Amino acid sequence: MQHSFDRRAFARTGLAAVAALAIAGGAKAQDAPSEFNIGIFTFSSGPAAAYGMPGRQGAELMIDMINEAGGVGGVPVRATFVDEAQGAEGVISEYRRLANDPDTQVMLAALSSSNCLALAPVAEQIGMPTISWNCDTHQLFLEDDLQFTFRPNGNTVPEFAAFAAYMVTVNPDVRRIAIINPDYAFGHDAGEIVKATLAAIAPEVEVVAELYPRLGTSSFQTEISRLSAARPDAIFSNLWGADLENFVRQAQPRGLFNQSQVVLALGETVLESLNLPDGVIAGMLGDGWWNTPTARANPMTVEFTDAYLERYGEHPVFPTMKMANALLFMQEAVEDAIAATDGAWPTRAQIAAAMEGRTFNSLTGTAVLREDNDAVVDQVIGLTTNESDLGFTTLTSMVRYPGEMLMPPIGGDPIEWLSTLTPDWLDSLPAPGSYN
Amino acid sequence: MLFAIVPLIVDGLANAALIFFVAVGLTLVFSVLRILNVAHGSFYSIGAYVAASIGLWIISSGLNPWLSFPALLIAAALVAALMGPLIERTLVHWTYGKGEAVQILVTFGLFLILEDLQRIVFGVRSIYADTPMALLGVSEIGGIIYLNYQLLLIGLAVLTLIGLRLFIRHTRQGKLISAVVEDREVSEAMGINTRRIFMMAFTLGVFLAALGGALATPTSGVAPGLGAETMVLAFAVAAIAGLGQVEGAAVAAVIVGVARVLAIYYVPALDAVAPYLVMLVVLLIWPYGLFGTTQSRRI
Repeated sequence: MQHSFDRRAFARTGLAAVAALAIAGGAKAQDAPSEFNIGIFTFSSGPAAAYGMPGRQGAELMIDMINEAGGVGGVPVRATFVDEAQGAEGVISEYRRLANDPDTQVMLAALSSSNCLALAPVAEQIGMPTISWNCDTHQLFLEDDLQFTFRPNGNTVPEFAAFAAYMVTVNPDVRRIAIINPDYAFGHDAGEIVKATLAAIAPEVEVVAELYPRLGTSSFQTEISRLSAARPDAIFSNLWGADLENFVRQAQPRGLFNQSQVVLALGETVLESLNLPDGVIAGMLGDGWWNTPTARANPMTVEFTDAYLERYGEHPVFPTMKMANALLFMQEAVEDAIAATDGAWPTRAQIAAAMEGRTFNSLTGTAVLREDNDAVVDQVIGLTTNESDLGFTTLTSMVRYPGEMLMPPIGGDPIEWLSTLTPDWLDSLPAPGSYN
Repeated sequence: MLFAIVPLIVDGLANAALIFFVAVGLTLVFSVLRILNVAHGSFYSIGAYVAASIGLWIISSGLNPWLSFPALLIAAALVAALMGPLIERTLVHWTYGKGEAVQILVTFGLFLILEDLQRIVFGVRSIYADTPMALLGVSEIGGIIYLNYQLLLIGLAVLTLIGLRLFIRHTRQGKLISAVVEDREVSEAMGINTRRIFMMAFTLGVFLAALGGALATPTSGVAPGLGAETMVLAFAVAAIAGLGQVEGAAVAAVIVGVARVLAIYYVPALDAVAPYLVMLVVLLIWPYGLFGTTQSRRI
């Protein structure tokens, strides 16, 4: 721990030095620019666009709302969108290209965990404040002490540990589970987290099949046969985007949802577009649902949701809310940085410094940034129901797990931390149905 | 034991059926035109997009949903009729007699153009048109529920193979194609209009690829990138069979389909690479594919 503290102290001193040099070297606290330029990275093509486009639409709407209200610190926001479907190499190249413009002062990057991992070292090298608006791999802050990368969202460990806890709480008879996740860091991490959590809190549960189909798979028919043949009591999945839509559309007529308790970690994104049957465990990554009691009690969330519905003809999904939250987080930090510089326009380093350690009241809850720049965020999960006034599937028996109960401590191995949980831990968590 | 094997066979054949349509088109075009058409996968995805669009239009217009079935065939025929002759007469025709590198570059360029055109015309979000799947219902085989549509696909693939065989062996046009495949120069000397045969074979190849895409839509979403995914698999099948082997493509499709299913059932980590591992092993032992033959080089 002492070693870790020393590294942090060293890094903080370094950050202060960078800030001082930036100010002394001409990038001094300056006049406000005519436009506040930001780069926004999301998927706007390919199978992942089903998830990425709601994020982009959320950004467009929130930026319009911010600009109509006077902009950030009185300066209108102008976003350049970058399509992550081009792959990590192209994404890094676009990031560097945008960063070359001194008027670009914040990046919202990225959606994909792989791209966040690839961009973090670049952000540190350039000194560009970067908000990981969606990616939630816990590996992002595991090894490196990042100074310019911030995540005001949840991460994979609390998210998927929560789903495992919810599953064994509402369905204590589960003994055999199968996993079907996408074949990259996000999917494999989730598989490890679910297995580690279940081994600790429900050691009698056996994993009978583990499938990791390629991201962008159009047909899951063989995987569905395999899952069906394994006869699991429950099937966990963190498929997302078009993969999730394909899987649900193909698995439902083949009886998979009747045969097993299905857990769709990103199920909230398809509540309006698909007819999920009752009783599917579905949720989101973190707390970002527009229809939670917390969100409905926030007038700004209601205004945003109504405006989104009017503009795009559909309700926002949690990637939309994550993006909107990330933009509000950025606005708060920049305006605080302006206040800290007595009204002068802040540098990138000053903006990054203002992002550190924030407690941010988002549209859907609260995000508390820790020393490692990763946030503690609540986790919302529920069961699908078709008895809803909305005219589409919604969630019932909801729970809002407090983030601090699910978040591993800084510096340790999160998987090892999960193994320290016990079956009694479940009793300390709020009960399903306590948050309706 | 049989109870465990039956799902493997059904899944393997269902997998093979979808790959077969596009692979047999690829190999047919190669056998006649001697061109490895890298853009072939695009015809698969365009067929899928057109079929999905027509299917969705039928439902939204309140027409009889059973019309979705002929719509699959009509979509493939439309794509072939509009794109086959046009592309063969313009871009592909220009590559005849040129080196393989030129042919691959030209068809790769065509692939990129067609992929972007699909994004412009059909957008970037996935399209779903699953009415035919829903209409046919399900059956339980070996304790697993299968879509009757999957079983129909297996039957259609077998019928297509038989139809192609009858067409090539027992019709005048088919015999002309065989003659051109055997020896283009002698065929021309005998008065066969090879230009017409080339256009016909290319259009038939486009039709088969588009038909594969159209038939895939009821059980899978259609999104950008589908063409590349399919093309690589089709190439693996064609390489295993030996380029130019129509019947061999059917056998190779079954081998690839079963290999992929075995991987998913027993070694999921190898799921994506299973078809290419099989291809590698086959080509190491039989460099011209399972059914390919060596050819003398004429100087």
